[in-house]
Amino acid sequence: MMTRLKTWVSAAALAGGVALASLGAGTARAQETIKVGILHSLSGTMAISETTLKDAMLMLIAEQNKKGGVLGKKLEPVVVDPASNWPLFAEKARELIAKDKVSAVFGCWTSVSRKSVLPVFKELNSILFYPVQYEGEESERNVFYTGAAPNQQAIPAVDYLMKEEKVERWVLEGTDYVYPRTTNKILEAYLTAKGVKPEDISINYTPFGQADWQTRVAAIKSFGSAGKKTAVVSTINGDANVPFYKELANQGIKATDIPVVAFSVGEEELAGIDTKPLVGHLAAWNYFESIDTPENKAFIQQWQAYKKNPKAVTNDPMEAHYIGFNMWVKAVEKAGTVDPDKVIAALPGTEQKNLTGGTSQMLPNHHITKPVFIGEIKDDGQFDVVNKTEGLIPGEAWSKQLEGSKDLEADWVKLNCGNYNTKTKKCGGA
Amino acid sequence: MIRIIILSLLLGLAAPAVAQDAVPADAYTRLASDSYGDIEAGIAALAASGDPRAGAVLSALGEGRLLYRPADKALFIKQGDALADARTGAPAQAEGLKPVRANNKIRRALDAAQGQLNLASPDAARRREAADAVFKARDPVALPALDAALARESDAGVKRALAAARAAVLLAKPGTPDAERLAALPSIQARGDGDAIAILRTVAASDPNETVKAAAGRGIQQVETRLAIAAAAQNVWYGVSLGSVLLLAAIGLAITFGVMGIINMAHGEMVMLGAYTTYLVQDAIRAHAPGLFDWSLAISIPCAFLVAGAVGVAIERGIIRFLYGRPLETLLATFGVSLILQQAVRSIFGPTNREVGSPGFMSGAFDLFGLSITWGRLWIVLFSLAVFLGLLFVLRKTAFGLKTRAVTQNRRMAAAMGIRTPWVDAMTFGLGSGIAGIAGVALSQIDNVSPNLGQGYIIDSFLVVVFGGVGNLWGTLVAALTLGVANKLFEPYFGAVLAKIALLVFIILFIQKRPRGLFALKGRAVES
Amino acid sequence: MTRTRLIDPKGWIFLAALAAFCLVVPLLNLGVAEGSGLHLPTYLVSLFGKYLAFALLALSLDLVWGYCGILSLGHGAFFGLGGYAMGMYLMRQIGPRGVYGNPVLPDFMVFLNYKELPWYWLGFDHFAFAALMVLAVPGLLAFVFGWLAFRSRVTGVYLSIITQAMTFALMLAFFRNDMGLGGNNGLTDFKDILGFPVQAQGTRVALFVATGIALALGYLVARFMTVSAYGKILIAVRDAEPRTRFLGYRPEHYKTLAFTVSAMMAGVAGALYVPQVGIINPGEFAPTNSIEAVIWVAVGGRGTLVGAALGAVIVNYAKTVLTGAMPDAWLFALGALFVVVTLFMPKGIVGSLIERFGSPRAKAKLPPEPEIAPKLAEEGQG
Repeated sequence: MMTRLKTWVSAAALAGGVALASLGAGTARAQETIKVGILHSLSGTMAISETTLKDAMLMLIAEQNKKGGVLGKKLEPVVVDPASNWPLFAEKARELIAKDKVSAVFGCWTSVSRKSVLPVFKELNSILFYPVQYEGEESERNVFYTGAAPNQQAIPAVDYLMKEEKVERWVLEGTDYVYPRTTNKILEAYLTAKGVKPEDISINYTPFGQADWQTRVAAIKSFGSAGKKTAVVSTINGDANVPFYKELANQGIKATDIPVVAFSVGEEELAGIDTKPLVGHLAAWNYFESIDTPENKAFIQQWQAYKKNPKAVTNDPMEAHYIGFNMWVKAVEKAGTVDPDKVIAALPGTEQKNLTGGTSQMLPNHHITKPVFIGEIKDDGQFDVVNKTEGLIPGEAWSKQLEGSKDLEADWVKLNCGNYNTKTKKCGGA
Repeated sequence: MIRIIILSLLLGLAAPAVAQDAVPADAYTRLASDSYGDIEAGIAALAASGDPRAGAVLSALGEGRLLYRPADKALFIKQGDALADARTGAPAQAEGLKPVRANNKIRRALDAAQGQLNLASPDAARRREAADAVFKARDPVALPALDAALARESDAGVKRALAAARAAVLLAKPGTPDAERLAALPSIQARGDGDAIAILRTVAASDPNETVKAAAGRGIQQVETRLAIAAAAQNVWYGVSLGSVLLLAAIGLAITFGVMGIINMAHGEMVMLGAYTTYLVQDAIRAHAPGLFDWSLAISIPCAFLVAGAVGVAIERGIIRFLYGRPLETLLATFGVSLILQQAVRSIFGPTNREVGSPGFMSGAFDLFGLSITWGRLWIVLFSLAVFLGLLFVLRKTAFGLKTRAVTQNRRMAAAMGIRTPWVDAMTFGLGSGIAGIAGVALSQIDNVSPNLGQGYIIDSFLVVVFGGVGNLWGTLVAALTLGVANKLFEPYFGAVLAKIALLVFIILFIQKRPRGLFALKGRAVES
Repeated sequence: MTRTRLIDPKGWIFLAALAAFCLVVPLLNLGVAEGSGLHLPTYLVSLFGKYLAFALLALSLDLVWGYCGILSLGHGAFFGLGGYAMGMYLMRQIGPRGVYGNPVLPDFMVFLNYKELPWYWLGFDHFAFAALMVLAVPGLLAFVFGWLAFRSRVTGVYLSIITQAMTFALMLAFFRNDMGLGGNNGLTDFKDILGFPVQAQGTRVALFVATGIALALGYLVARFMTVSAYGKILIAVRDAEPRTRFLGYRPEHYKTLAFTVSAMMAGVAGALYVPQVGIINPGEFAPTNSIEAVIWVAVGGRGTLVGAALGAVIVNYAKTVLTGAMPDAWLFALGALFVVVTLFMPKGIVGSLIERFGSPRAKAKLPPEPEIAPKLAEEGQG
């Protein structure tokens, strides 16, 4: 009896071993295509935002292949699902680079997922394009940030509210994680510098997925009834936004009383809400679907045809991927190779027309120049652009408002450093 | 800008007969513009004109029905499919029109203008809104008009609002005599809200007269006491409302887990299915019978019950019936089912949120003794209680309920008595799932309708059922309300996260004290 | 009753396979040239290391679930705490190499304006202290929690749900940036461990082997606990707690000890997991993670120890393959796996094997199939 058990167990172990070994195989094939990794969550809490970006990348790659690919080779997308699980992001990034030998990866949404994959990209020397607005305070050789840094979103929005809406009292409402924390710190410093008194700033954090906003919205309402024009600057994360806006509407807070300007609410998020009670609340982005340019029109048409859905909406991170992907294509063609070192060297300075009528440029700090638009929510779930910055704003990796970071400078072209300290004249990091 | 509008309107009230030809020639032309500044000026000019068409034009602008022709700056109002000339109201034909855009500033100017137009409205509620607008603007020029309106007013509520507005203006106006300022304080105090406190604070801080200062100080204290009481009551209400959501989420689980002993990890997904059913029903209604939209939730309830119930029966027949008496394995299997259901919904509907609208009767709020109660939440509270009572009735008073209890308490004995236990199992599980589906209809009103919807409620649901005592519906009710109210009472002091953590720790410690929950089943408890 | 051997044939197979694995993997990775078809890429070494860390977690869970009937839905908490203890050590090793170049404070503290290191970070620059904490923090939490719960005779689903509440509360707490542990981002960007660069090939192989050894030791400890006289009483508690109590034993003492040892093992698993995946964040405390760990045990076979470890490896291997091969539909496959295992292999993979081929004695030691009719509790409240 025991021998049979042994046979069984060893057979199972052997089968497992073979299967595991097979994980490593399959890379010997000749490189007739250029592989591009797509690292976006397709399940779990972040699937709601990231799935669209996966589709957008697949569309961009298909379009490029129609034009003949890159360097005469077809592009081959490699999609994996990191399942909104941060350690899994690192594991999947490793798999994409080491096993699938992709030339660049487009992916991540949350800061923590980016932080999780960072060491992997540094170690294996590959390229990551990160398409989402984030808290800044970072510049890595292997990462290109195509989303907005705080100075490309938060500060222009606050300027607009101060100037146009004459706001004197501020509620900075955010989800408790690093992006809202940093953004609110920057804003607090900025507002104080502009002469706003500390008692006129209220900062509050709620947990992820906060669903019951009754108390908070009532608190905002009472904070706003002090006789001074009040606005809410919202860095509330994805999931929690719908219940937040529903509660605002329920408690009758209209944009004309207390406007809410959000940095994480776009067309995609509004598709899940009845926007009639929200008309007039604001969002600050570098792209809106409603912006009327020929490039944008073509992009929207392409997207709706690709999704086979005439109601499919486009949003800011999609545009970031559009810009990032095209910049990568240009840099690869300029370098004549997909070798990461050469592409990383070729990327700064690369220019690409964005979808809103300007031309974005990759800066030496691996951020890009972007226009900033302020939009008001319309009743059809789109945004009405009410303000636009003069020209394009360069992304700042290190905030000028924060102690500790204002002396730092990122320049990968001249200094070859992501955190050069202008005071000590030393490159800070390892 | 608003000052001018209010002033002009109030003056207009006092002397309503402004000649037609006084309409500035460019009021309409200014509106026909792409620039917000021009539009705002246009609104002011139009409001000041006393033009009888002003009301119609302004409301068309507010609703996005005001169009203009860029070529000659002619203005049109869209009514359904037809067009009318804005100046005359006569039917018109035109091509190449653009809507006159509105932003927050425009909307505020519109609100002020329209509110003021309503000061002479026969509707008392509208007059009151107008009085509140003046209260907020606090503009001395409005004083004579306010006096006139006060003299005319017969409704007591509106009169109070007008008096408060007048008092606010008096306090803001430089040079009001001390006695008048002192006399103005009580009407402000009577308002008793945050705005009133703000005014009183300014007076208490900066009034030149010490008596007035002291009176304002006393007023602040009184209003603050009242506000504190109201805030406490408000928190209790928020707690009841949160508790009702917990109750709704947990009550289906109280059947599948509490009564049947199945650790049903797919419970949250039943709630999600209910929410998606609501979405589908609303979609169908929007497409085929828009008139029924206010009934969409009522129609969704039976649909959600059937959909979730049917899925529940299928799960029971397909999987769970092989696992009775092995509760820990039901955990494993239903966790698998929950993954499959989530992914299925994600594949069919996509990962993004679906929009579920609120019918008219669920939006807005009303005032109850200083408490602001939103209709939507009130309906959810009532609905959850109705579901609870209905379920209690089914389990306690019907033959089916009797059989359910018999089977879960002693399966073999029940079978020996001739009860078809497999049928009862399937129906009971279907009932629990269907109730979860109904909960989904209500939750679609306050939360994301996404594949992750159920995940947000599953842990809380288990906690509620366990805290209340497994197998006891009343326990579930008391537990849900207790947790809801406690959470909301803690929240203002500790913040949302610490309040939640404190509650979790409390539950852990409470279970040490009463290892079978609040209301333990007496005697030979169902436990394995 | 005859004395049970510490290592039975099943155990020998397991240990031999584990030893072979721990020899072959480094050999194929370090000993075979990169170009060769037999070469094992370094990233797989870390991946296997992660599987082994999960296997140790599953083993610790099986010790309490399989042998004393405590279904913990909160073992992820102990795993996470162990991981955080190790993460704090690794953070302190970064020193001035953070982006702000602060020699003492980790980056996230610099931009949250911390002026000095919070007290609970003190000592974590020493490996020995961190290693002690890896055992002590989960152990202490489990001891207090278990002592309270088992003394009050909280059992069954009530116990499961409060363990879940425990890990949920910890998750919420660790998500707070005010905790001073990095909030949602957790701890990441590690550089050195014991002076060796974390990302170096050699370090990775060493970590992998260390995890293998920890798993083997964990198995021996668990095995020792379950076959000793103590283990017999543990099993008696699992199968009939009131009767054991009536015989004069104090079940709560036995359970608390098992729970504490199990939590320490989970903590070690977490500590070995963190340097290999490169991040620890509050997501590890998510209740679903703990439920998943329970599922590994169930898939492999509850109450068999070897099965738990095997289950963890199989399910995680399936996850790795499926998230890459069918990113849009892998949840269907994983969900179906759970359902199928429950329905057709109620005793898990190893349990089913034993049932088919094992000796009567081996069969007898499997956890009993509960009766079809709900068991009547012999100790109601009233």
